[in-house]
Amino acid sequence: MDSRRWQSKGPSTENTVIKATGGGAYKFADLFKERLGISIEKEDEMNCLVAGANFLLKAIRHEAFTHMEGQKMFVQIDQNDLFPYLLVNIGSGVSMIKVDGDGKFQRVSGTNVGGGTYWGLGKLLTKCESFDELLELSQRGDNRTIDMLVGDIYGGMDYSKIGLSASTIASSFGKAISENKGLDDYRPEDISLSLLRMISYNIGQISYLNALRFGLKRIFFGGFFIRGHAYTMDTISFAVHFWSKGEAQAMFLRHEGFLGALGAFMSYEKHGLDDLMVHQLVERFPMGAPYVGGNIHGPPLGDLNEKISWMEKFVQKGTEITAPVPMAPPGTTGLGGFEVPSSKGDTLRCDASELNVGVLHLVPSLEVFPLFADPKRYEPNTIDLSDRSELEYWYTVLSEQLSDLVDKAVASEGGTDDAERRGDAFARAFSAHLARLMEEPAAYGKLGLANLLELREECLREFHFIDAYRSIKQRENEASLAVLPDLLKELDSMTEEARMLTLIEGVLAANIFDWGSRACVDLYHKGTIIEIYRMSRNKMQRPWRVDDFDVFKERMFGSGDKKPEPHKRALLFVDNSGADIVLGMLPLARELLRRGTEVVLVANSLPALNDVTAMEVPDIVAEAAKHCDILRGAAEAGGLLVDAMINIQDSSKESPSSVPLMVVENGCGSPCIDLRQVSSELAAAAKDADLVILEGMGRALHTNFNARFKCDALKLAMVKNQRLAEKLIKGNIYDCVCRFEPAC
Amino acid sequence: MERDGFEKNLGEKELRKSVDEVSNLALDIGGSLIKMVYFSRNSDSSVDCSSNGTLNNSILSGRLHFEKFETRMIDDWIKFLSTKQFRFCGSQCNQASANDTNIIKATGGGAFKFADLLKEKLGIILDKEDEMDCLVTGANFLLKAVHDEAFTYMNGEKEYVQIDQKDLYPYLLVNIGSGVSMIKVDSDSKFERVSGTSVGGGTFLGLGKLLTKCRSFDDLLELSHQGNNREIDMLVGDIYGGMDYSKIGLASTAIASSFGKAISKEQELEDYRPEDIARSLLRMISNNIGQIAYLNALRFGLKRIFFGGFFIRGHAYTMDTISVAVNFWSKGEAKAMFLRHEGFLGALGAFMSYEKNDPADEASHQIVKQFPNGSYCIEDGFQSSDSTNASDDGCITCRLQVTK
Repeated sequence: MDSRRWQSKGPSTENTVIKATGGGAYKFADLFKERLGISIEKEDEMNCLVAGANFLLKAIRHEAFTHMEGQKMFVQIDQNDLFPYLLVNIGSGVSMIKVDGDGKFQRVSGTNVGGGTYWGLGKLLTKCESFDELLELSQRGDNRTIDMLVGDIYGGMDYSKIGLSASTIASSFGKAISENKGLDDYRPEDISLSLLRMISYNIGQISYLNALRFGLKRIFFGGFFIRGHAYTMDTISFAVHFWSKGEAQAMFLRHEGFLGALGAFMSYEKHGLDDLMVHQLVERFPMGAPYVGGNIHGPPLGDLNEKISWMEKFVQKGTEITAPVPMAPPGTTGLGGFEVPSSKGDTLRCDASELNVGVLHLVPSLEVFPLFADPKRYEPNTIDLSDRSELEYWYTVLSEQLSDLVDKAVASEGGTDDAERRGDAFARAFSAHLARLMEEPAAYGKLGLANLLELREECLREFHFIDAYRSIKQRENEASLAVLPDLLKELDSMTEEARMLTLIEGVLAANIFDWGSRACVDLYHKGTIIEIYRMSRNKMQRPWRVDDFDVFKERMFGSGDKKPEPHKRALLFVDNSGADIVLGMLPLARELLRRGTEVVLVANSLPALNDVTAMEVPDIVAEAAKHCDILRGAAEAGGLLVDAMINIQDSSKESPSSVPLMVVENGCGSPCIDLRQVSSELAAAAKDADLVILEGMGRALHTNFNARFKCDALKLAMVKNQRLAEKLIKGNIYDCVCRFEPAC
Repeated sequence: MERDGFEKNLGEKELRKSVDEVSNLALDIGGSLIKMVYFSRNSDSSVDCSSNGTLNNSILSGRLHFEKFETRMIDDWIKFLSTKQFRFCGSQCNQASANDTNIIKATGGGAFKFADLLKEKLGIILDKEDEMDCLVTGANFLLKAVHDEAFTYMNGEKEYVQIDQKDLYPYLLVNIGSGVSMIKVDSDSKFERVSGTSVGGGTFLGLGKLLTKCRSFDDLLELSHQGNNREIDMLVGDIYGGMDYSKIGLASTAIASSFGKAISKEQELEDYRPEDIARSLLRMISNNIGQIAYLNALRFGLKRIFFGGFFIRGHAYTMDTISVAVNFWSKGEAKAMFLRHEGFLGALGAFMSYEKNDPADEASHQIVKQFPNGSYCIEDGFQSSDSTNASDDGCITCRLQVTK
């Protein structure tokens, strides 16, 4: 049941109407009316199930996954190729529904052997008190003590002629016949497992037969019976795989237990969610996620203090359920002794009670970046963290950075006791997330590096660390702005073509300032920002590891007499504060403006590390404009200097025809960017753009390295990570990438 | 107690028949039960040497016997046989006693499992026949040769079905033993195991034993007869407050979730009547088998489904539930049919395989079954529609053609 606006007190509930589905909506309607004064508006159960499943499959990325032999794999569902499918909802009983479209479906089959049978029989046989307890028991069970296997009948031999191996169950509970044993002689664990296998296998088999009958290739299993339980999913998958000889696939839904309720919710017409698009939903995993999964224990902790004390309580009780996460003391690797959790690889591993669902945030203003060459094939992450060694590497990196980050975060909030407490709670919460993800990389959906980095930022925000790098960013901006005029002067003395090369060199060189890179943080201790920048620029020697500069140059200047048209509008995705934007990207923007190209600086909506935010960019531009007419004219044309104008008393008369320089936020708060979910402003600005420049490791390498666009694209970054350099470009740390891809 | 029953059951009959000449013993050793089929020659029948004009052949009149006992009692069975000096005549029985190594046709998993045991204890060598081969051969034989072998069972009404021999194939054979095999039969010799389920007779007895402390299959079936599954099963009406969920065609009495009510109450195992538990269990398993069988029949376009195997045992409620399941899911288009000799398909198939007996043993008489087309191999009396001729102990009166 979904309550629209739950009011626990007061008489105003008299007219409350809530949507409800399931048999109980009929059965308990009077009870609700009498006790709570709530009228129940009954929604058809099948309708709700289907509406819920359709919504999830369309609106939530990585909602569906397969589960074979303990391996979870997320499946990208093409919205246009979703129907028809078979929806198997396993509640007390099992309904099998053929879904042909929105609102078009038919219950084609079902079975009375379902979750109720498992729990009912299980309760009678094992005296378990709860469904979860029963499931947990099964984890430690061995069904061979009760099931009669083919090998038991054939004396250990396979009956290979008909394709049955010795370990195939010939008869569930069949061994309970032949021995003179009573119920007490069997381990409840074994009984629970036998029962679970019997029922899961049976459901898988009947589902497959029905899918076959209607020629359906995809079978989605949902309902509360599954509960993310690995063995249940494995058994169902096995049955489908076995009977279909590998042709059909069992898929599961992360929000499996909520199909009906979600459908009932969807039936409120007013919320306008009918046309929800996948890019408008952002799933967040709050602090408690690694501890309690999706189990709901009371109201959400809205208050920060509650969160902190909750976390402290957890720590005191020693109930950290996952491997203890080492907090690296400064200067040590901290993770020398880290080992892969030993529970991995056990086929009976169980995610029980952890539903792995986060809170869905509806952000209606998010849109899909309109310039993809092929939106369907876009995958933001370059690094796939389902590769165990990658995950371990990044786990180590993030763990090592944690103490430093906490220090910065606490300092950014004035270093008060309160900040200390929050910092401590943040560290524990994030460590728990990390440990949880090490245990179960797919716990929160398909895990890419972008998601992992975003999780850290989200976690900081959850503990009210608004901007941990605020003071660092400010300091670096000021230092860089101080040397900008000299740089501009130097640039202006060059020929156009030489200047372009110097500008690109400058972007690459300035990209060395990155607090996300451990190597760079070490560098900072060795010199001032300007010294480092100069050193970095002097080392810039072509050819770079990836060097498409000549192609880019030809696009910009042409060859021979042919002068190509300048780009109409360029989107510059900027990365770090300080030298990176001031001495790297801003001069490049200025050059483009000078050529008559409109420039849109695209920056993060929310802080992440020392990345510059869209809020900060106008101030930087305004400051830079003090020393540069081109920038000033463009910024004014782009409306950036409206507020800043007051400070610029000596503004001379700029050329009125100046092309505009604009700033838009990208809609995200992570060092990486998933272009499937960008702000509507960015999407709008992108429509007229014919050049995209992605700068920095997060935006151009970790994500989007392989992204192809409809327009010209330039990807610029310095690789500040040895492992990534080897993996991605077969190079070394501090190698540079200048990749130019003409419109496709 | 069981042992008494067992010896009494088997002993009396065997004692009575031991005066007859017993031959062609064939075994189907399953996970739960051992099934035997053998031929006993009428002591007063004479050898008729002229049946088809060949002097080499002779016809033996006699009866086909069908016996069963529980596999777990195999030690008792061996003891019993060794003391009774029952003659295992793999071939013609008259001279079999002279031969120390007796070969018996056998099928089922136990034919492999117990081969050494039987060799050691009784000097019997089991000639193993493929289980599916035997099942199908047995079923084909029964359906072709024996009148009134197949019947439907709905609402307590048994109705015999005349099978046109020419229109027998293809059909789905569902053999419900400890587990369930589903076999698509296309011709006398062509068949394929297309499906199966582990939820079968073994599940019924196994779970039933754990839940009710019943000792035997028959006790459990008997219990179920007196039970009411509404006490434990969650019905559609329980969920929808007594209303049908008619939109999707579910009556309020339809079972929504087997054993689903055992969840919601504060009751424990002891609080439920064993009768009700047995009933719920029987319905759950029968219904499930019926459903999976129908889905498989549908898949291959098979109109006829024959159910056999020891789970059924002519138990009305079992047959009724299976029939209802098939009827429900097929919307009346498919019919479940049952076989009177349901439990002996495998053993009968093994028996039939004596036809292919080892030619190396020249001394032995080849016995060729003489049932192929029914009309002349079955004694007249048996051909009449009077089904009792299959007699209560399941014997089939018949003749064997003996090749000398």
